[in-house]
Amino acid sequence: MLALKEKEENKLDWFNSFKEDFILNFVDKGRWKMLVKGFGNTLLITLCSVLIGIVIGVLIATVRSTYDKNKEVYEKNGGAKYIVMRVLNAVCNVYLTVVRGTPVVVQLLIFYFIIFAFVENGLIIAIIAFGLNSGAYVAEIFRGGIMSIDNGQFEAGRSLGFNYFQTMIYIVIPQVIKNVLPTLCNEFIVLLKETSIAGYVGIMDLTKAGDLIRGVTFSAFMPLIAVALIYLVAVVVLTQLVKLLERRLRRSER
Amino acid sequence: MKDSNIIEANESGAVIQTVELCKHYKGGEIKALDGVSISIQKGEVVVIIGPSGSGKSTLLRSLNLLEIPTSGSIFFHGEDIAAKNANVDLHRQKMGMVFQHFNLFPHMTILKNLTIAPMKLLGKTKEEAEEKAMVLLSKVGLADRAESYPSQLSGGQKQRIAIVRALCMEPEVMLFDEPTSALDPELVGEVLDVMKSLAASGMTMLCVTHEMGFAREVADRVVFMSDGVIVEQGSPDKIFTAPESPRLKQFLHSIL
Repeated sequence: MLALKEKEENKLDWFNSFKEDFILNFVDKGRWKMLVKGFGNTLLITLCSVLIGIVIGVLIATVRSTYDKNKEVYEKNGGAKYIVMRVLNAVCNVYLTVVRGTPVVVQLLIFYFIIFAFVENGLIIAIIAFGLNSGAYVAEIFRGGIMSIDNGQFEAGRSLGFNYFQTMIYIVIPQVIKNVLPTLCNEFIVLLKETSIAGYVGIMDLTKAGDLIRGVTFSAFMPLIAVALIYLVAVVVLTQLVKLLERRLRRSER
Repeated sequence: MKDSNIIEANESGAVIQTVELCKHYKGGEIKALDGVSISIQKGEVVVIIGPSGSGKSTLLRSLNLLEIPTSGSIFFHGEDIAAKNANVDLHRQKMGMVFQHFNLFPHMTILKNLTIAPMKLLGKTKEEAEEKAMVLLSKVGLADRAESYPSQLSGGQKQRIAIVRALCMEPEVMLFDEPTSALDPELVGEVLDVMKSLAASGMTMLCVTHEMGFAREVADRVVFMSDGVIVEQGSPDKIFTAPESPRLKQFLHSIL
């Protein structure tokens, strides 16, 4: 009888301490607003970097695959076009090697403390750093997509009289987009999680917001688990959207 | 040298003429084409035969520069299209090409496959291009498949569509690169029939094929290639019944 009562009291205790913890970490002084603001920054950085990444990625993939596919023609005709393409291709290769060969945290710190040391707004720097980083990966995704299209498609396009770029735009790229869209979306899910290091350069993203709350309230469990849950929900939602998209694309494949 | 060739090509009335065409790989180690000179007259149907690796496909693909020749010239209406900075795209519009593996565009309907090039390159309106496409489609008996996608068709149907796609550009020459080699045997006939009627309509055709029956029946001239050179050429009658070179005799013996 007594034991049962004790058990019930324990339960109540646990519930009360949970409630206290919750109020302390999220309700007091409107601390939940920090999480909301942090998540907002996380989304903002991700979204802007994605856009920069796509632009850079498409440009680099275009240069690299154009060079690869037309090497023979360039070499034969020589001249300025050949030199320009060779230089562009080399620049792209250096960029890919450097970006993919160094940790993104280090890149972010270099951008913040060295290259853009004069810029006050950390958010902009983070967007640029993550955008440039993502661009390298997107470039390889697109290039892989272009290279995976059967060479017969290029030849058929060219044999009808389309030039290289017309062949790309009307025939190859529509097929590439369909093939790489799921991979591309997954790259952005990865990017969403990668932005959690933005706190290194003083930006209050979601992770940093949770960490700040922990620093003030001296209770780690509640804010950090909350942060983890928010990321998890965001990623799960995005993953489901990608799955939906994949199914859609497969359906239009006859 | 070049000028005299141009004049020669014009005077002989050849649509296509190659002069000492060479295609070497690995710095000359492999010679896919080793000095091929051939000229094709307007309205002529030329069938190229030969063992695999003899360079017949390379020759055909060189003619519209899908393969870039190492040396030599290709005159198309007297203009050297293998020269540096020739407008290759413009010449390709006048040379239809049919591939072994069809290479239809899988993301487009048949009608779109047929109309995209005439609309984008010849400046035709959608109506004009579709009208022309439908006329040609009914000629090959596939008018009812206009809204289908390539993956819904059989190999023979795909190849007939591929021929129509090339014809929609109103080419002066048609190049066929083993058009029936990837087909099931029972589908070969329907493609050959289309090619026969095309030949009968006076189209200039160059055809790499293993269909000796087709060569015998339709060709004006049969060209036998081996090891990157033309070994023997002549009328189908001469090639098949009175071959001269031992290499051709051996080849015919092995296939017939």
